[in-house]
Amino acid sequence: MTENGFAIQTHSLTKRFGRLTALDGVSANVPTGSIYGLMGPNGAGKTTFVRVMLNLLSPTRGSATVLGHDVVREPVAVRRRIGHVAALQPLWEWMKVREFTHFMGACYPQWNPEAVSSILSHVGIDPEMKIQALSRGQRAIASLAAAIGHGPDLLLLDEALTGLDPMARREVLRNVIDAMHAQGRTVLITGQDIADMERICDHVGFLVKGRLVLESTLDDLKAKVKRVRVEHERDVEIELPQGALEAARTPGETSFTTADFSESLSGSLAGPNRRVEVRDMSLEDIFVHLAQAELRREAG
Amino acid sequence: MLHSIDPKSAVPIYLQITEQLRRSVAAGLLLPGDQLPSVRELAARLLVNPNTVAKVYRDLERDGLLETRRGQGTFIAADAAAMAEGERRRLLTDELRAVARDVHAFGLDDESALDLFRRVLKDEKPGRKDRR
Repeated sequence: MTENGFAIQTHSLTKRFGRLTALDGVSANVPTGSIYGLMGPNGAGKTTFVRVMLNLLSPTRGSATVLGHDVVREPVAVRRRIGHVAALQPLWEWMKVREFTHFMGACYPQWNPEAVSSILSHVGIDPEMKIQALSRGQRAIASLAAAIGHGPDLLLLDEALTGLDPMARREVLRNVIDAMHAQGRTVLITGQDIADMERICDHVGFLVKGRLVLESTLDDLKAKVKRVRVEHERDVEIELPQGALEAARTPGETSFTTADFSESLSGSLAGPNRRVEVRDMSLEDIFVHLAQAELRREAG
Repeated sequence: MLHSIDPKSAVPIYLQITEQLRRSVAAGLLLPGDQLPSVRELAARLLVNPNTVAKVYRDLERDGLLETRRGQGTFIAADAAAMAEGERRRLLTDELRAVARDVHAFGLDDESALDLFRRVLKDEKPGRKDRR
Protein backbone atom coordinates (compact mmCIF):
# COMPACT_ATOMS: atom_id res chain seq x y z
CA MET A 1 0.00 0.00 0.00
CA THR A 2 2.69 2.45 0.95
CA GLU A 3 5.60 2.06 -0.89
CA ASN A 4 8.85 1.92 1.12
CA GLY A 5 7.28 2.14 4.61
CA PHE A 6 6.83 5.89 4.89
CA ALA A 7 3.53 7.72 4.75
CA ILE A 8 5.33 11.04 4.34
CA GLN A 9 8.82 11.63 3.04
CA THR A 10 10.30 15.01 2.28
CA HIS A 11 13.68 15.87 0.81
CA SER A 12 15.28 19.24 1.54
CA LEU A 13 11.84 20.79 1.59
CA THR A 14 12.01 24.57 1.66
CA LYS A 15 9.17 27.07 1.66
CA ARG A 16 9.75 30.81 1.56
CA PHE A 17 7.22 33.58 1.89
CA GLY A 18 9.08 36.59 0.51
CA ARG A 19 12.04 36.99 2.83
CA LEU A 20 10.68 34.66 5.48
CA THR A 21 11.88 31.07 5.34
CA ALA A 22 9.09 29.01 6.89
CA LEU A 23 10.61 25.61 6.07
CA ASP A 24 14.35 25.33 5.68
CA GLY A 25 15.61 22.12 4.05
CA VAL A 26 13.34 19.74 5.94
CA SER A 27 13.96 16.03 5.28
CA ALA A 28 11.30 14.27 7.30
CA ASN A 29 10.32 10.59 7.37
CA VAL A 30 6.96 9.66 8.85
CA PRO A 31 6.73 5.85 9.09
CA THR A 32 3.56 4.14 7.94
CA GLY A 33 1.43 3.15 10.93
CA SER A 34 3.01 5.63 13.29
CA ILE A 35 1.46 8.43 15.27
CA TYR A 36 3.94 11.19 14.58
CA GLY A 37 4.04 14.35 16.65
CA LEU A 38 5.41 17.36 14.82
CA MET A 39 6.39 19.77 17.57
CA GLY A 40 7.96 23.16 17.77
CA PRO A 41 7.48 26.66 19.15
CA ASN A 42 4.98 29.02 17.55
CA GLY A 43 6.09 30.03 14.09
CA ALA A 44 8.38 27.01 13.69
CA GLY A 45 6.73 25.96 10.42
CA LYS A 46 4.41 23.16 11.57
CA THR A 47 1.30 24.43 9.81
CA THR A 48 3.27 25.32 6.68
CA PHE A 49 4.52 21.72 6.60
CA VAL A 50 0.96 20.36 6.83
CA ARG A 51 -0.26 22.75 4.14
CA VAL A 52 2.47 21.66 1.75
CA MET A 53 1.41 18.02 2.29
CA LEU A 54 -2.13 19.04 1.29
CA ASN A 55 -0.79 20.96 -1.73
CA LEU A 56 -2.40 24.10 -0.39
CA LEU A 57 1.10 25.59 -0.64
CA SER A 58 3.76 24.57 -3.12
CA PRO A 59 7.37 24.09 -2.11
CA THR A 60 9.96 26.70 -3.04
CA ARG A 61 12.55 23.92 -3.26
CA GLY A 62 12.82 20.24 -2.48
CA SER A 63 10.11 17.63 -2.74
CA ALA A 64 7.47 15.85 -0.69
CA THR A 65 5.92 12.42 -1.18
CA VAL A 66 2.71 11.49 0.58
CA LEU A 67 1.57 7.85 0.48
CA GLY A 68 3.88 7.35 -2.46
CA HIS A 69 2.53 10.28 -4.49
CA ASP A 70 4.39 13.47 -5.23
CA VAL A 71 2.34 16.25 -3.65
CA VAL A 72 2.86 18.70 -6.50
CA ARG A 73 2.42 16.35 -9.44
CA GLU A 74 -0.37 14.15 -8.05
CA PRO A 75 -2.37 16.31 -5.65
CA VAL A 76 -5.68 14.56 -6.31
CA ALA A 77 -4.32 11.09 -5.57
CA VAL A 78 -2.91 12.50 -2.32
CA ARG A 79 -6.05 14.33 -1.23
CA ARG A 80 -8.25 11.29 -1.76
CA ARG A 81 -6.28 9.30 0.79
CA ILE A 82 -5.76 11.82 3.55
CA GLY A 83 -7.97 13.40 6.16
CA HIS A 84 -7.29 16.83 7.61
CA VAL A 85 -8.49 18.66 10.70
CA ALA A 86 -7.24 22.16 11.49
CA ALA A 87 -7.78 24.33 14.56
CA LEU A 88 -10.97 26.36 14.44
CA GLN A 89 -11.59 25.21 10.91
CA PRO A 90 -14.44 27.18 9.36
CA LEU A 91 -17.51 25.02 8.85
CA TRP A 92 -20.75 25.76 7.06
CA GLU A 93 -22.58 27.29 9.98
CA TRP A 94 -26.05 27.14 8.48
CA MET A 95 -25.91 23.44 7.70
CA LYS A 96 -27.27 20.73 9.94
CA VAL A 97 -24.67 18.19 11.08
CA ARG A 98 -26.39 15.59 8.91
CA GLU A 99 -26.18 17.83 5.86
CA PHE A 100 -22.55 18.62 6.56
CA THR A 101 -21.45 14.99 6.78
CA HIS A 102 -23.60 14.09 3.78
CA PHE A 103 -21.97 16.91 1.83
CA MET A 104 -18.49 15.71 2.79
CA GLY A 105 -19.47 12.15 1.89
CA ALA A 106 -20.45 13.18 -1.60
CA CYS A 107 -16.81 14.04 -2.28
CA TYR A 108 -15.61 10.48 -1.69
CA PRO A 109 -16.73 7.23 -3.33
CA GLN A 110 -15.60 5.15 -0.32
CA TRP A 111 -17.52 7.18 2.33
CA ASN A 112 -18.65 5.22 5.38
CA PRO A 113 -21.76 6.91 6.85
CA GLU A 114 -22.08 4.36 9.70
CA ALA A 115 -18.61 5.12 11.04
CA VAL A 116 -19.39 8.83 11.00
CA SER A 117 -22.78 8.42 12.72
CA SER A 118 -21.29 6.21 15.38
CA ILE A 119 -18.64 8.81 16.28
CA LEU A 120 -21.28 11.56 16.44
CA SER A 121 -23.80 9.60 18.46
CA HIS A 122 -21.15 8.45 20.92
CA VAL A 123 -20.61 12.05 22.02
CA GLY A 124 -24.29 12.89 21.85
CA ILE A 125 -24.29 15.09 18.76
CA ASP A 126 -27.77 15.09 17.22
CA PRO A 127 -27.44 15.05 13.42
CA GLU A 128 -30.36 17.48 13.22
CA MET A 129 -28.42 20.16 15.11
CA LYS A 130 -27.16 23.17 13.21
CA ILE A 131 -23.39 23.51 13.06
CA GLN A 132 -23.60 26.97 14.64
CA ALA A 133 -25.24 25.44 17.72
CA LEU A 134 -22.32 23.08 18.42
CA SER A 135 -19.88 23.70 21.25
CA ARG A 136 -16.21 24.04 20.44
CA GLY A 137 -15.58 20.45 21.50
CA GLN A 138 -18.51 19.17 19.46
CA ARG A 139 -17.27 21.05 16.41
CA ALA A 140 -13.88 19.40 16.79
CA ILE A 141 -15.53 15.97 16.91
CA ALA A 142 -17.73 16.80 13.90
CA SER A 143 -14.67 17.97 11.95
CA LEU A 144 -12.83 14.80 12.90
CA ALA A 145 -15.77 12.57 11.92
CA ALA A 146 -15.95 14.35 8.57
CA ALA A 147 -12.19 13.97 8.09
CA ILE A 148 -12.12 10.21 8.64
CA GLY A 149 -15.38 9.17 6.98
CA HIS A 150 -13.57 8.15 3.81
CA GLY A 151 -11.16 5.90 5.72
CA PRO A 152 -8.00 7.89 5.01
CA ASP A 153 -4.60 6.22 5.16
CA LEU A 154 -3.12 9.38 6.63
CA LEU A 155 -4.74 11.80 9.05
CA LEU A 156 -3.28 15.28 9.51
CA LEU A 157 -4.33 16.94 12.76
CA ASP A 158 -3.07 20.50 12.71
CA GLU A 159 -3.50 22.07 16.13
CA ALA A 160 -6.79 20.20 16.20
CA LEU A 161 -6.70 19.93 20.00
CA THR A 162 -5.70 23.52 20.65
CA GLY A 163 -8.20 25.43 22.70
CA LEU A 164 -10.29 22.40 23.60
CA ASP A 165 -11.15 21.58 27.18
CA PRO A 166 -9.63 18.38 28.62
CA MET A 167 -12.83 16.37 28.11
CA ALA A 168 -13.09 17.33 24.44
CA ARG A 169 -9.37 16.70 23.92
CA ARG A 170 -9.73 13.23 25.33
CA GLU A 171 -12.73 12.51 23.17
CA VAL A 172 -10.88 13.57 20.03
CA LEU A 173 -7.81 11.53 20.98
CA ARG A 174 -9.94 8.50 21.80
CA ASN A 175 -11.55 8.67 18.37
CA VAL A 176 -8.21 9.14 16.64
CA ILE A 177 -6.82 6.07 18.38
CA ASP A 178 -9.94 4.06 17.70
CA ALA A 179 -10.38 5.02 14.06
CA MET A 180 -6.76 5.02 12.98
CA HIS A 181 -5.56 1.87 14.67
CA ALA A 182 -6.48 -0.29 11.68
CA GLN A 183 -3.41 -1.66 9.97
CA GLY A 184 -1.17 0.77 8.22
CA ARG A 185 -2.93 4.01 9.07
CA THR A 186 -0.77 6.95 9.96
CA VAL A 187 -1.45 10.09 11.99
CA LEU A 188 0.58 13.29 11.93
CA ILE A 189 -0.35 15.61 14.75
CA THR A 190 0.91 19.10 15.47
CA GLY A 191 0.17 20.98 18.65
CA GLN A 192 1.29 22.64 21.81
CA ASP A 193 0.11 20.22 24.45
CA ILE A 194 3.16 18.10 24.97
CA ALA A 195 1.45 15.81 27.47
CA ASP A 196 -1.05 14.80 24.79
CA MET A 197 1.78 14.18 22.36
CA GLU A 198 3.61 12.10 24.88
CA ARG A 199 0.56 9.93 25.37
CA ILE A 200 -0.21 9.00 21.85
CA CYS A 201 2.87 9.59 19.69
CA ASP A 202 5.49 6.96 18.97
CA HIS A 203 7.55 9.22 16.71
CA VAL A 204 8.39 12.87 17.15
CA GLY A 205 9.96 15.57 15.01
CA PHE A 206 11.10 18.94 16.37
CA LEU A 207 10.91 21.96 14.13
CA VAL A 208 12.72 25.10 15.24
CA LYS A 209 12.67 28.12 12.92
CA GLY A 210 11.83 25.98 9.92
CA ARG A 211 14.54 23.41 10.52
CA LEU A 212 13.92 19.84 11.57
CA VAL A 213 16.45 19.70 14.39
CA LEU A 214 15.57 16.19 15.49
CA GLU A 215 13.49 13.23 14.41
CA SER A 216 13.32 10.08 16.47
CA THR A 217 11.13 7.45 18.02
CA LEU A 218 9.91 8.62 21.40
CA ASP A 219 11.53 5.61 23.09
CA ASP A 220 14.96 6.32 21.60
CA LEU A 221 14.67 9.97 22.47
CA LYS A 222 13.87 9.19 26.08
CA ALA A 223 16.66 6.63 26.28
CA LYS A 224 19.26 9.10 25.02
CA VAL A 225 18.35 12.40 26.61
CA LYS A 226 19.05 12.30 30.35
CA ARG A 227 19.84 14.55 33.25
CA VAL A 228 22.89 13.24 35.09
CA ARG A 229 23.75 14.23 38.63
CA VAL A 230 26.97 13.20 40.32
CA GLU A 231 27.68 13.55 44.03
CA HIS A 232 31.42 13.51 44.47
CA GLU A 233 34.37 14.52 46.61
CA ARG A 234 34.17 18.23 47.40
CA ASP A 235 37.67 18.98 46.17
CA VAL A 236 37.27 17.29 42.82
CA GLU A 237 36.11 18.86 39.60
CA ILE A 238 34.31 16.41 37.35
CA GLU A 239 35.19 16.60 33.69
CA LEU A 240 32.04 17.04 31.66
CA PRO A 241 31.49 14.65 28.76
CA GLN A 242 31.45 16.09 25.26
CA GLY A 243 28.18 17.77 24.32
CA ALA A 244 27.07 18.21 27.94
CA LEU A 245 24.57 21.03 28.35
CA GLU A 246 23.18 23.12 31.14
CA ALA A 247 25.90 22.08 33.51
CA ALA A 248 25.55 23.12 37.14
CA ARG A 249 28.38 22.81 39.64
CA THR A 250 28.41 23.20 43.38
CA PRO A 251 31.12 21.83 45.68
CA GLY A 252 30.56 18.09 45.78
CA GLU A 253 27.87 18.02 43.14
CA THR A 254 27.81 18.33 39.36
CA SER A 255 24.83 17.94 37.09
CA PHE A 256 24.32 18.27 33.36
CA THR A 257 22.06 17.22 30.52
CA THR A 258 23.24 14.95 27.76
CA ALA A 259 21.59 14.00 24.48
CA ASP A 260 23.84 11.00 24.07
CA PHE A 261 23.47 8.94 27.20
CA SER A 262 24.96 5.45 27.51
CA GLU A 263 25.78 3.08 30.35
CA SER A 264 29.47 3.59 29.65
CA LEU A 265 29.02 7.31 30.24
CA SER A 266 27.57 6.77 33.68
CA GLY A 267 30.26 4.13 34.32
CA SER A 268 32.98 6.65 33.52
CA LEU A 269 31.64 9.01 36.19
CA ALA A 270 31.32 6.40 38.93
CA GLY A 271 33.77 6.03 41.76
CA PRO A 272 34.05 4.65 45.29
CA ASN A 273 32.86 7.81 47.03
CA ARG A 274 30.49 8.90 44.37
CA ARG A 275 26.88 8.53 43.60
CA VAL A 276 25.67 8.87 40.02
CA GLU A 277 22.00 9.53 39.52
CA VAL A 278 20.50 9.39 36.04
CA ARG A 279 17.10 10.95 35.63
CA ASP A 280 14.76 10.45 32.70
CA MET A 281 13.44 13.65 31.23
CA SER A 282 9.88 14.34 30.25
CA LEU A 283 9.17 15.21 26.65
CA GLU A 284 8.48 18.76 27.77
CA ASP A 285 11.94 19.10 29.33
CA ILE A 286 13.51 17.59 26.22
CA PHE A 287 11.55 19.92 24.00
CA VAL A 288 12.56 23.07 25.86
CA HIS A 289 16.12 21.86 26.03
CA LEU A 290 16.35 21.22 22.28
CA ALA A 291 14.69 24.48 21.34
CA GLN A 292 17.03 26.47 23.57
CA ALA A 293 20.11 24.62 22.36
CA GLU A 294 19.15 25.33 18.75
CA LEU A 295 18.46 29.01 19.38
CA ARG A 296 21.76 29.35 21.23
CA ARG A 297 23.59 27.61 18.42
CA GLU A 298 22.08 30.06 15.98
CA ALA A 299 22.94 33.09 18.11
CA GLY A 300 26.49 31.94 18.74
CA MET B 1 -6.11 -2.30 37.48
CA LEU B 2 -4.77 0.07 34.86
CA HIS B 3 -6.41 3.23 35.97
CA SER B 4 -4.32 5.95 34.61
CA ILE B 5 -1.16 6.96 32.89
CA ASP B 6 0.84 10.02 33.73
CA PRO B 7 2.28 11.29 30.46
CA LYS B 8 4.27 13.99 32.24
CA SER B 9 6.10 11.44 34.33
CA ALA B 10 9.66 10.78 33.28
CA VAL B 11 8.85 7.05 33.47
CA PRO B 12 8.06 5.95 29.90
CA ILE B 13 4.42 5.09 29.30
CA TYR B 14 5.43 1.62 28.17
CA LEU B 15 6.98 1.00 31.59
CA GLN B 16 4.06 2.52 33.48
CA ILE B 17 1.62 0.09 31.88
CA THR B 18 3.97 -2.87 32.25
CA GLU B 19 4.55 -2.16 35.93
CA GLN B 20 0.86 -1.69 36.66
CA LEU B 21 0.07 -5.04 35.06
CA ARG B 22 2.90 -6.80 36.87
CA ARG B 23 1.83 -5.27 40.17
CA SER B 24 -1.77 -6.29 39.65
CA VAL B 25 -0.68 -9.88 39.09
CA ALA B 26 1.74 -9.81 42.03
CA ALA B 27 -0.98 -8.45 44.32
CA GLY B 28 -3.51 -11.01 43.11
CA LEU B 29 -5.83 -8.38 41.62
CA LEU B 30 -5.54 -10.16 38.30
CA LEU B 31 -5.84 -13.94 38.38
CA PRO B 32 -4.91 -16.64 35.87
CA GLY B 33 -7.56 -16.82 33.17
CA ASP B 34 -8.70 -13.20 33.58
CA GLN B 35 -9.19 -11.56 30.24
CA LEU B 36 -7.51 -8.28 29.40
CA PRO B 37 -9.02 -5.62 27.15
CA SER B 38 -7.97 -5.74 23.51
CA VAL B 39 -5.06 -3.57 22.43
CA ARG B 40 -7.45 -1.17 20.78
CA GLU B 41 -9.77 -0.94 23.81
CA LEU B 42 -6.97 -0.41 26.27
CA ALA B 43 -5.24 2.16 24.05
CA ALA B 44 -8.47 4.11 23.66
CA ARG B 45 -9.23 3.86 27.38
CA LEU B 46 -5.80 5.01 28.54
CA LEU B 47 -5.42 7.35 25.55
CA VAL B 48 -2.06 5.99 24.57
CA ASN B 49 -0.55 4.84 21.32
CA PRO B 50 -1.89 1.38 20.36
CA ASN B 51 1.61 0.32 19.34
CA THR B 52 2.70 0.93 22.92
CA VAL B 53 -0.01 -1.35 24.32
CA ALA B 54 0.76 -3.98 21.68
CA LYS B 55 4.41 -3.90 22.73
CA VAL B 56 3.49 -4.30 26.42
CA TYR B 57 1.31 -7.32 25.64
CA ARG B 58 3.99 -8.83 23.39
CA ASP B 59 6.72 -8.45 25.98
CA LEU B 60 4.63 -9.74 28.88
CA GLU B 61 3.57 -12.70 26.75
CA ARG B 62 7.22 -13.44 26.04
CA ASP B 63 7.84 -13.30 29.81
CA GLY B 64 5.03 -15.80 30.35
CA LEU B 65 2.71 -13.48 32.28
CA LEU B 66 0.11 -13.22 29.51
CA GLU B 67 -1.13 -15.61 26.89
CA THR B 68 -2.97 -14.90 23.67
CA ARG B 69 -5.65 -17.32 22.58
CA ARG B 70 -6.27 -17.06 18.89
CA GLY B 71 -9.55 -15.39 18.14
CA GLN B 72 -10.40 -14.93 21.83
CA GLY B 73 -8.03 -12.33 23.16
CA THR B 74 -5.33 -11.86 25.75
CA PHE B 75 -5.47 -13.52 29.17
CA ILE B 76 -3.44 -13.76 32.35
CA ALA B 77 -1.39 -16.93 31.85
CA ALA B 78 -2.25 -20.11 33.75
CA ASP B 79 1.10 -20.21 35.51
CA ALA B 80 1.04 -16.50 36.37
CA ALA B 81 0.20 -17.43 39.97
CA ALA B 82 3.48 -19.29 40.28
CA MET B 83 5.18 -16.29 38.78
CA ALA B 84 3.46 -13.90 41.15
CA GLU B 85 5.78 -14.92 43.98
CA GLY B 86 8.85 -14.25 41.87
CA GLU B 87 7.24 -11.04 40.69
CA ARG B 88 6.68 -9.82 44.25
CA ARG B 89 10.32 -10.47 45.05
CA ARG B 90 11.46 -8.70 41.91
CA LEU B 91 9.38 -5.58 42.64
CA LEU B 92 10.54 -5.44 46.25
CA THR B 93 14.16 -5.98 45.28
CA ASP B 94 13.99 -3.08 42.85
CA GLU B 95 12.64 -0.75 45.50
CA LEU B 96 15.03 -1.95 48.17
CA ARG B 97 17.96 -1.36 45.86
CA ALA B 98 17.03 2.31 45.66
CA VAL B 99 16.79 2.48 49.46
CA ALA B 100 20.10 0.64 49.83
CA ARG B 101 21.84 3.17 47.62
CA ASP B 102 20.55 5.97 49.86
CA VAL B 103 21.66 4.11 52.99
CA HIS B 104 25.20 3.95 51.63
CA ALA B 105 25.14 7.51 50.36
CA PHE B 106 24.01 8.79 53.78
CA GLY B 107 26.76 6.75 55.42
CA LEU B 108 24.40 4.73 57.63
CA ASP B 109 25.76 1.38 58.84
CA ASP B 110 23.92 -1.84 57.98
CA GLU B 111 22.68 -2.48 61.52
CA SER B 112 21.08 0.98 61.92
CA ALA B 113 19.52 0.65 58.49
CA LEU B 114 18.03 -2.73 59.35
CA ASP B 115 16.73 -1.37 62.67
CA LEU B 116 15.07 1.45 60.84
CA PHE B 117 13.55 -0.93 58.35
CA ARG B 118 12.16 -3.16 61.12
CA ARG B 119 10.54 -0.16 62.73
CA VAL B 120 8.98 0.97 59.43
CA LEU B 121 7.78 -2.58 58.77
CA LYS B 122 6.02 -2.58 62.11
CA ASP B 123 4.52 0.88 61.58
CA GLU B 124 3.14 -0.03 58.22
CA LYS B 125 1.61 -3.33 59.25
CA PRO B 126 -1.97 -3.45 57.89
CA GLY B 127 -4.59 -2.85 60.57
CA ARG B 128 -2.51 -0.59 62.78
CA LYS B 129 -4.68 2.38 63.67
CA ASP B 130 -1.98 4.93 64.30
CA ARG B 131 -0.46 4.38 60.89
CA ARG B 132 0.11 7.60 59.04
